[in-house]
Amino acid sequence: MSENLEKTFVQQLRENQNIIHKICRLYTSDSDAHKDLFQEITIQLWKAFPKFRGDAKFSTWAYRVALNTAITLYRKSTRSVSTVEYEKHSFFISQDEYNSEEEDQIKLMYQAVHQLNDIEKALVFMYLEDKDYTEIAETLGISEVNARVKMNRIKGKLKRWKSWIY
Amino acid sequence: MEELDLLKKDWKKNENSFEQVSEVDIYKMLHKKSSSIVKWILIISILEVLLWTGISLVYNSDEYFIRTHSEYLIEYFKYLTIFNYAVVAVFIYMFYKNYRAISTITSTKQLMKDILKTRKTVQYYVWYNLGMMVISMIIGFILVFNVDPKIHELTSKGNVMILMIAFCTVCTLVFVGLFWLFYRLIYGILLRKLFRNYNELKKIDL
Repeated sequence: MSENLEKTFVQQLRENQNIIHKICRLYTSDSDAHKDLFQEITIQLWKAFPKFRGDAKFSTWAYRVALNTAITLYRKSTRSVSTVEYEKHSFFISQDEYNSEEEDQIKLMYQAVHQLNDIEKALVFMYLEDKDYTEIAETLGISEVNARVKMNRIKGKLKRWKSWIY
Repeated sequence: MEELDLLKKDWKKNENSFEQVSEVDIYKMLHKKSSSIVKWILIISILEVLLWTGISLVYNSDEYFIRTHSEYLIEYFKYLTIFNYAVVAVFIYMFYKNYRAISTITSTKQLMKDILKTRKTVQYYVWYNLGMMVISMIIGFILVFNVDPKIHELTSKGNVMILMIAFCTVCTLVFVGLFWLFYRLIYGILLRKLFRNYNELKKIDL
């Protein structure tokens, strides 16, 4: 029984691993931290897996547990995120097809998102994943109204950040 | 929202750009906690042996035997030491094997079995060391009584003899007790952690 459970888990996780990678991309700024967070999320998912009864999709459930892990961990560590380290991150952005202005803007946006706090990052993540406010609220355990308010505040922050840079 | 949407475009584009983690990697991550504890058991046992070897290099019992004209004992002591090192080497090899086994395992059932095995090995190791200590102390005292002329003279009186034996017994008990505490502290902490992992695994097993 347990071996089957474990096998199922490992298989599902491998198939859905991009969810975790994407969360790591927002919460960490170098590849070592990325790997550490990936492992921590994996362990937390595995611990929580017996409670996952399959009434939701694995991915939906994984969103919730993984984001909570990232938020909790991030809260414990220092909030200062060095912007210099962002350069290491550039491997995430493919070079071709972008004109340089757009590319610069995207870089700046990632940089800006890295400055946000733990919950705000989670909201941005859900937004980038094309989730609607109902799902965002449910996953993060906040009300829909609250999610909207928070999202608007984030947009404002990002705009200010952008105008400050230029 | 122009800015975030620009980001979204890039986000989607790079969705599959991550270095993929294999199933074996995931298994390794799940069992990492146990394997790092077993690694510490291995490291500490090696450090311990190095410590004892260091001490025995500094303190040389050969001189004592030569001084008391009992050179024939040097040979016996050499065999005892070699025997002891051989046994300890076997234990360290077993710790290493446990470490290898736990860090490469891909099933929880097997992992649980190996955790129990590691616990047993450590317990045997501690009992062997304590037993060896008692035996070597007893042998040491008997030798001193028989070989050292000064002590031999002293203990020829009955009362002193009893006193000496009592003293030696207390010494042995205190010494062994201290080591027992030392082992309990160092290996005990690690074993407790390992056992906590075991219980966690057991919960998942249900």
